[in-house]
Amino acid sequence: MILVKKIKVKNALGLHTRPAATIVKLLQPLKSSVSFTYKEETINARSIMSILMLAAKKNAQITITIEGVDAELAMRRLIAAFEEEFGEK
Amino acid sequence: MYLVQHLFEQHGKHLGLDLLAGAPGLARRINRAEVHRPGLSLMGYMKGFVSSRILVFGKQEIEYLKELDSPTRDLRLKNILTTMTPAVITARGFRPPKEMVALCEKVHIPLFRANATATNLLSRITFLLLEEFCPSVTLHGTLVEVFGVGVLIQGESSVGKSEAALGLIERGHRLISDDVVRVKKKEGSSLIGSGPELTRHLMEIRGIGIINVAHLYGAVCVRHDKGIDIVVKLEEWDDQHFYDRVGLDEKFIDILGSSVPYHVLPVKPGRDVVLLLETIALNHRLKDMGYNSAKEFNAKWLEAISRRQRKRVLS
Repeated sequence: MILVKKIKVKNALGLHTRPAATIVKLLQPLKSSVSFTYKEETINARSIMSILMLAAKKNAQITITIEGVDAELAMRRLIAAFEEEFGEK
Repeated sequence: MYLVQHLFEQHGKHLGLDLLAGAPGLARRINRAEVHRPGLSLMGYMKGFVSSRILVFGKQEIEYLKELDSPTRDLRLKNILTTMTPAVITARGFRPPKEMVALCEKVHIPLFRANATATNLLSRITFLLLEEFCPSVTLHGTLVEVFGVGVLIQGESSVGKSEAALGLIERGHRLISDDVVRVKKKEGSSLIGSGPELTRHLMEIRGIGIINVAHLYGAVCVRHDKGIDIVVKLEEWDDQHFYDRVGLDEKFIDILGSSVPYHVLPVKPGRDVVLLLETIALNHRLKDMGYNSAKEFNAKWLEAISRRQRKRVLS
């Protein structure tokens, strides 16, 4: 199953090191392959360096693409993390 | 998307560009890696004129414009300076005619002056644009230079790409980029890989965190870019899979339409991945020099067999 969704970065500092680590951590137990697309650049969301490379600021629109058996669960958890501003509210 | 602004910011100094008018037009897109001297179109011949090219006015164009009367000059310039024109440059430090300045200001076309000659500008800008417009792709993997060979290490997350790269660096090889590699295919030549500016020479090692290789091991252990000569895929050892045992058949992988030698390297405890990667790189160099260990041995074997058969026939 392939899920695609656009999401906005809401926390003030953007996708810096801590949010990147949070994302990688929450994806670790899941099996699906997850990629982020921002400014015509598509990267593997399981890699901290790749997420950092995007340099996504606050309000950046990121396209999340998830493919795999637990795609729905992965998408739900990712959206929740983005919505909670990675605990930086 | 490449804007005039990018060209100006990145190469303006080097090209000696001086912005004279049309600053709001810096946000214009450059859609073609072409630079054009308007010559004929300036004389009114507009057939086949492509308006989305950067225009360079050299000595001849400027001299010709000077000979025209003001209304004609304005008309001819209006024909070629359209909303599609990304930018206009006058060469040899020529001061552009006032009609040109006014027009560029009005239609928001960035107007530059440069000291170099038109021919020089033409070749330099075309070269820069070709470089910018060449096909590129971002790959997941780690690029290391091992004994002068560009090795792209790929594989699933947590298979040990970064750890293998760290081991190689420790033995004096060089890191180009960890985890994310931008690959460009240069005009007709090889694939060049480099790291993104922001995360250059940084590595993420599980259990340690983010480290800066250039600071830890020194500038000798890093490189800005490197051609990709071989791709090695690390994967967890699978007993069901038959791994290459002889190396007679070479495998290739396609990157941007170029085929690159490809090896699958199974990883399991006790296998020294760093040593294996070094061996793959050395073997590649040997092949490049015209010596293929596997093929050479096979030829020797076949010869030995035929010699034995001959002996048997003779006796």
